[in-house]
Amino acid sequence: MALTDLLAELIRRQFPCGGWSALSSSAQPALEPTSYSALVLRSRVRAAGERAYSFLLGAQNPNGSWPVFAGDDRDGSWVTSLVSIALRDLVPAMPARVKGIRWLLRTVGKEAHWFWKWKFRTSDRHVRFDPDKFGWPWFPDTVSWVVPSALAILALNQLSRSCCEFELIPSRVERGVEMLRDRACPGGGWNAGNGVVYGAAVAPHPDDTAIALLALHDRPNDPVVRSAVAYLERTGPTLTAPWSLAWTILALAAHHRPIILLREALLAIPDLLCIADTSTLALVCLALDHERSLTDLGVPR
Amino acid sequence: MRLTRRDFLLASAALAAGASVSTPFFLPKCRSDRRPNRSRVAVLHAEQYCQQLGRILAEGLELFPLKLQGKTVVLKPNLVDYLPADIINTHPLLVLAAAEAFRRLGAKSVLVAEGPGHQRDTQLVLSQSGYQELLRGEKIRFVDLNRDELIRTPLRTSYTGMRELWLPRTVLEADFLVSMPKIKTHHWSGVTLAMKNMFGIVPGARYGWPKNILHWKGIQESILDLCATVPIHFVIADGVIAMEGNGPLNGTPRPLRNIVLADDAVAADAVCAALMGFAPDRIVHIREGGRFLGNSDQRHIDQVGEAIVHPTTPFRVVPEFRNLCAL
Repeated sequence: MALTDLLAELIRRQFPCGGWSALSSSAQPALEPTSYSALVLRSRVRAAGERAYSFLLGAQNPNGSWPVFAGDDRDGSWVTSLVSIALRDLVPAMPARVKGIRWLLRTVGKEAHWFWKWKFRTSDRHVRFDPDKFGWPWFPDTVSWVVPSALAILALNQLSRSCCEFELIPSRVERGVEMLRDRACPGGGWNAGNGVVYGAAVAPHPDDTAIALLALHDRPNDPVVRSAVAYLERTGPTLTAPWSLAWTILALAAHHRPIILLREALLAIPDLLCIADTSTLALVCLALDHERSLTDLGVPR
Repeated sequence: MRLTRRDFLLASAALAAGASVSTPFFLPKCRSDRRPNRSRVAVLHAEQYCQQLGRILAEGLELFPLKLQGKTVVLKPNLVDYLPADIINTHPLLVLAAAEAFRRLGAKSVLVAEGPGHQRDTQLVLSQSGYQELLRGEKIRFVDLNRDELIRTPLRTSYTGMRELWLPRTVLEADFLVSMPKIKTHHWSGVTLAMKNMFGIVPGARYGWPKNILHWKGIQESILDLCATVPIHFVIADGVIAMEGNGPLNGTPRPLRNIVLADDAVAADAVCAALMGFAPDRIVHIREGGRFLGNSDQRHIDQVGEAIVHPTTPFRVVPEFRNLCAL
């Protein structure tokens, strides 16, 4: 299996509108697969990439956020971070991206509100976390979770902090990083959101851990980061699912760990072209060309 | 005792606050009574997960007058995550046995569909839990409900206060939806059975992992709204090795050696709760579902197959749910 075959399959799945659906059986263009695919194609297949950007720009909500799929409600969602990352370096997309970043800065996990902070401190203590350390929710009016917070940190870190309009970025990013550190699993790595529930340690997930590690790529000496990298190095060789393996390759590469064997394992997975999930197909492409992909994701090499 | 103006105002405020919190749940939320006159539940004995499950299940299904000719059957197992010593998910051999049985009964197509609530990598859950190989071997299609095409769906009841949800096309277009839960305890809802299993149809891509909105809107309320909106046509509950304690993820195995079949999800859950040593009417969604959705009252349930054996020791639960125990 070669990267060119996977790219051809990705292009074959693109709708005339420029978007991709989450599953190959679906006719509903969605923003997550389109963002990953746009990142893959931006510098490789120009025409397909431009159609993808056109779709992304056209799908933006009036409030600056992006929906999960075409036709979704207009309140906004976690994919706003992903789209902002995908639009990176695209000059005509700058106004749309700025609106998206403004929305991200306005959006906080529900635990940031004093009432819920008080509730989580006093009566609702089965999930161990510090509500002072909050990040971003999957969609408005719910609490912070690891993946949307990590993606928001990646998106915000790509913007110039010298711009006075975005003076809030450093403090939001720092708060988000604190949240990620607070929610880490006791044995290393991250789960969807919490490390301990009802007194029991929750097992980490490779993909959640990898995405969090990408967001924390500039903190290699943090003990939480080191512990997560160690978990991913242990788990990576056991993975047989392309989504988790692809994220693991990107994260370990970002932390300067060897990934040659993992890359070989990814290429050896049978029927990669038949993967129904288009986001996974695009991620495999990103992982196989990880040097360029990390730059595109805003992770300096 | 003299009641001062200040006491009166404080008491009124407290009463109003209490009423605003508690009253909504007790007001009628269902527009129509959809309970069948009679429901049928079969408790089957199954010692272990093995190839004989196919025969046991086929014989059990003969106890129900199912007409599946030309129908699309969707099997909805409980696939939450993968953990070593996997007891948290519906066993794949049971799902395979169900698919073969429904094919033999004339179904046009049988597919398996689920949207894991904790793990975003559905393929990882499928491969690590043994599903992927079995489904591929039998050419059974799997649909990831976390990423399926979505349709805006008005809710038929208003326990959560939500008016609609985006739900997967695959489930909405199924002719025959089979809920296949793992029988286990749950630290937020007490139990996770056929009705709670429907959380898996709510798409993670839209609502997050876990499906956090359902927690904020009330787990019991969300179960009721979902089950009222998306009818469950049949239940096959996996209680061969059930789970007790800190479920849904960190519980411990509890051999129950039962498979429960039912043509009514409320009746199935009431019987499963009894098998766990719980009083069904102490589980909010079973009690409330018994008012309009199905039969929780044993007098309206035709019990076939094995007799219900109430355990001498109820399933262990987290402290908040100790009141569920019938003993």
